[in-house]
Amino acid sequence: MAFANSEIDDLVSLERGELDRRIYSDPAIFELEMERIFARSWLFLCHETQIPEPGDFFQSVMGRDNVLVVRQKDGTVRAMLNTCAHRGNAVCRAEEGNAKSFLCTYHGWSYGIDGRLNGVPGFSTFYKGELDKSRHGLAQVAQVASYKGFVFGTHDASAPPLEEFLGATGRLGLDTIALRGEMEVVPGIQKFVIECNWKIAVDNLFDWYHPQITHASAFQPNVLPSVDLRRHNDFEKIDMSGVNMQSGANLELAGSGIVGTKFDQMVVLGEYGHAIGGPTTNSSGYFEFDPTWRDTPQAKAGLGPVGLRVAGHPNIFPTTWATGAQPQISLRIPREPNRTEIWWFTLVDRNLPRETRDFMVSMANRVFGPAGVLEQEDGENWAQATAQSRGIASRRMKHLINMGVGRGKIIKEAGLARIEGLTSEHAQLWTYHSWAQWMKGLPWDELKAATTPGDCI
Amino acid sequence: MSEHAQMSTETHAAAREERITAMLHHYEVERFYYDEAALLDAHRYEEWLALFAEDARYFMPIRRTRTQREMDKQFTQPGEMAFFDDTKMLLAGRIEKLKSGRSWAEDPPSRTRHLITNIRIVKDDGRMLEVESNFHLYRTRLNSEETSWIGSRRDVLRRVGGSFQIADRKIFLEQTVLLSRNLSNFF
Repeated sequence: MAFANSEIDDLVSLERGELDRRIYSDPAIFELEMERIFARSWLFLCHETQIPEPGDFFQSVMGRDNVLVVRQKDGTVRAMLNTCAHRGNAVCRAEEGNAKSFLCTYHGWSYGIDGRLNGVPGFSTFYKGELDKSRHGLAQVAQVASYKGFVFGTHDASAPPLEEFLGATGRLGLDTIALRGEMEVVPGIQKFVIECNWKIAVDNLFDWYHPQITHASAFQPNVLPSVDLRRHNDFEKIDMSGVNMQSGANLELAGSGIVGTKFDQMVVLGEYGHAIGGPTTNSSGYFEFDPTWRDTPQAKAGLGPVGLRVAGHPNIFPTTWATGAQPQISLRIPREPNRTEIWWFTLVDRNLPRETRDFMVSMANRVFGPAGVLEQEDGENWAQATAQSRGIASRRMKHLINMGVGRGKIIKEAGLARIEGLTSEHAQLWTYHSWAQWMKGLPWDELKAATTPGDCI
Repeated sequence: MSEHAQMSTETHAAAREERITAMLHHYEVERFYYDEAALLDAHRYEEWLALFAEDARYFMPIRRTRTQREMDKQFTQPGEMAFFDDTKMLLAGRIEKLKSGRSWAEDPPSRTRHLITNIRIVKDDGRMLEVESNFHLYRTRLNSEETSWIGSRRDVLRRVGGSFQIADRKIFLEQTVLLSRNLSNFF
C-alpha cells in the first residue's frame, strides 16, 4: 500500500483547513479512492420511477463498474454488473430501455433479467453439459436498497444497511426531495463531462461564497426569470484585467435570492461524510420555485424542527447532490483524476398541474446542466482549478478551505449536528475530513466513529 | 411539329421551370443560413436573435443510446428534459448574460465556426417551410480545448418580407453523453 494513514492525514488538515493539491491529480490517490470509497460506499444508482415495468433497466456506474439496475417480475429491483461471466463483454450496451433478457454478443451467453445464466450455445455439444450454469450468472451487486424511491447499491457485503449509512443527515437530504409529493423522474438524464477532479465538483455544491462572482452573469435581468432584479441594478463593475475586488461577498443582490450577507446559513454534518450546507428558510438566500410543500403535515413530521429550516444543498457522501430549488439529483462520477461525468436527474411531483410541471422542467433545463446559466461557468472554473493545481510548483501550494475554521460550534439537536452562522467552509471541510477517513480503509465501526461530529470544527 | 412532340416540349419546360423555382427557394434558404452562421461566428448575438419569431421555441433534446428496437425513444420530447428548451425571451436572457462582461465561460470567448450543409426543404406551403440541415459546430477555447458538435437541425421558417423568420428550431446532436464541459454557444 502506497499510503500510510499518517500520510493520508497529511493530505487534509482539519485544524488549518488546508488540502494537499495532489489529491486532485495523483493517479495513485485516484486508484485508492476507487478501492476504498467507490468499492465500499453506498452509491446512488437511479430512482425507482425510471424503471417501473418488469425488464425496465437503467445503466448506472459504481466506481468503474457499469451496473444494470433492473426491475424484476416480482416488482423488486436488482443491480448486476454489466459483464459477461464468460469473457467479460458487456451484456447490455444501451443506457436505458426494456429487456426480456441480456445477451452477450460475443459467444451468445444469455441471462434472465434477474441475472441468471439461461442459455449457453454448445452447452451439450462443446461443454458436454459440464458447465454449472447456476454459478455463472451476472454478478449481483453485493447490496441494493431503496430509500423512498432512491435506489442505492454497494459493492461491500459488510456495509451497514442503507438507512443506517444515510443516517439522519443523509435521510434528511433525500427527504427534502421525497417529501414534496409523489416524486417521479422526468425522462432524460443530462450527462456531460468536465475535465475536473470529482472532489472539486463535490465541494462546490456547498459553496455559497462563489455564486456572486462565478455566476455574476446569471444575475442579469431576464436571465433567471424567477429572479426579480429590476430593483437591484447595483452590480459592482467587474473588469477582469486588474480589478481589486473586495466587495464581492458584500454584494447585496437581495433579489437574486442567492447572494448577500443577510444570510442565515446552516451546515449539517453527518456520519460517513454526509453534509448539508447553505441557507435556511428564513434567510434572504432562500429560494425555491415552490416552497409550499414545507407546509404539509408530512413534511413537518418528516423533516422535524431542524430539518424544516434546511434549504441548503445536501450531499450524500461521496457523490450524490440532492438539490432543492427545483428537485434534482446531481451525480459527480469520477472517470479519471482530471475527468468527471455529471449526471442530472430531475424530479417532479406527478400530481402537479401540467403547467406547473412544465415550468419546473423548463427551469431545471435552464439553470443546471451543460447549457444551464449557472453551470456553464462552474465547468470552466473546476476544469481550470484542476489543471492549474497539477504543476510541480503549483501543487506545492495548498488548497484553502479555512473560512470559519475552528469557529464552527456544533449544536446537536433532533438527531442532527449543525452549525449556524454566515457563509463558511465547514461543510467542505467535513467532506474532506471524512474523505481522508475513508481513504484509510478503516473497518465500518471505526469509520463511523472517525466521521462522527465532535463539538467544534 | 407533331402534337405529341409539342406536348413533350411543354412538359419539359414546365418541369424545368419547377426545378428553377426549387433552386431559387433552396438558394434563399441557404443564403439565410449562411448569414445566420456568420452572425453567430462573429458573436453578433442580438442580430442573430432578431432572426427568430416572437413565439419561437429553441429545443435541443437529450439523446440516449438505445437498442435498435427502441430507436423511437432515443430523443426526449418537449415537456421532458433537454439540453436547451428556450423561448425567445429565454434566448434573450442568454444573450444578456453573454453581454454582461462577466460570463466567464465565454471570456476569453470561444472561437467558433458553424458549417451548415445538406439543406433540404421538406415542406413548403408558401407561407411556412420545414427545413432540415446538418451542422458542424467547431469550437476551440483557450489553448487546448477543442469541441466538435455535429448534428442536424429541423427548422420551421416563416416567410416574412423578402426573408425568413425562425419559428421553431429543433437541434439533434449525435452525442448522447455530451463530451464537453458546457454548451455556452448557439446552434
